[in-house]
Amino acid sequence: MNKNNPKFLITIFSVLVGILIASQMKLNVDLLTPVTVKSIIDTRKEIDAVRNETAELEKIIAIREAELATLESINTGEANIIDILEDDVKNNRNKSGYTALQGPGVEIIMYDNIGDGIGLNFNDYIIHDLDILNIINDLRVAGAEAISINDQRIISSSEIKCGGPIIRVNGKSIGTPFVINAIGDPQVLMAAVNAPGTYGNNLTKIYGIGIQPYVKDRVEVAAYKGQFQFNYAKPMEEGE
Amino acid sequence: MVYALIGILVGAIIGFLLPYTYNTAYTLYISVGILACLDSVFGGIRANLENKFNTRIFISGFFGNAILAAFLAYIGDRLGFPLYYAAIFTFGSRLFDNFAKIRRLWLFKEKPAETEK
Repeated sequence: MNKNNPKFLITIFSVLVGILIASQMKLNVDLLTPVTVKSIIDTRKEIDAVRNETAELEKIIAIREAELATLESINTGEANIIDILEDDVKNNRNKSGYTALQGPGVEIIMYDNIGDGIGLNFNDYIIHDLDILNIINDLRVAGAEAISINDQRIISSSEIKCGGPIIRVNGKSIGTPFVINAIGDPQVLMAAVNAPGTYGNNLTKIYGIGIQPYVKDRVEVAAYKGQFQFNYAKPMEEGE
Repeated sequence: MVYALIGILVGAIIGFLLPYTYNTAYTLYISVGILACLDSVFGGIRANLENKFNTRIFISGFFGNAILAAFLAYIGDRLGFPLYYAAIFTFGSRLFDNFAKIRRLWLFKEKPAETEK
């Protein structure tokens, strides 16, 4: 058959079209509209979300099963309930800040502007309670697990208050230089106070306030020494 | 017309027997490409019946149209705008155009074509 014979050529290309159609059919795409890449990505995201949810629920199941196992072992007399409760107390003291902690993190030393002035207002030269608050919030955003200022542990009820030339934390007066210890991922914590555009960086660059962060393998965070109790808040009954 | 149909059937059988498949993500591009190829085949049949068939035009149209259609679909995906509609409308309407011409040529020229054999 002649290669330039139209019928032959058309047949050959028809075969090609047929192959394409057949391979398309084999995929069994049961869609009335053509699939777009965007819709595929959306569906994939949905699937991922559901999978994450399942994983979370499975974790909760594992935790609950472990609890059940301890309760059963108490029941059979294998474990002593006092030991378990003491472990619980230790755990809770850790979480609430009543124990001194150590771990990798950063140590930040902050001092007032001691260099040349940038204006006449003395307020621009000193560290304020708000500056400390912002730095601490930045650290918490960066995932700090425990924070202390001049050995005053920052717990959930700790206040940071202006006291003239000093600031008050946990009811105790502290003055410059402020030493903030934070335990967490050192690189992230370092970036939270040192990266361009952060509050800490602005303080240094604009107001000339000294902020010296150091990455440390071992940072010690003191325990909370005060008394803490609820006067107004009461726990909600379950199911309320 | 008949040989094209036979060709498509043979191709379909070959396609079903071949073990190769492609990623589902490309179905849109391939299907738009198939439409363009079909249009080229119909155009070729019509040109053949009109005795105006040109191998170069046919082959370049076959691949060029398919690639352009798939490319339009791809660009449309990137831009978030369904550009492949352009290919679907163009090749779809041309397909029917070509088929209408083929029908007329067939119905009125069938007898002389048979006597030629």
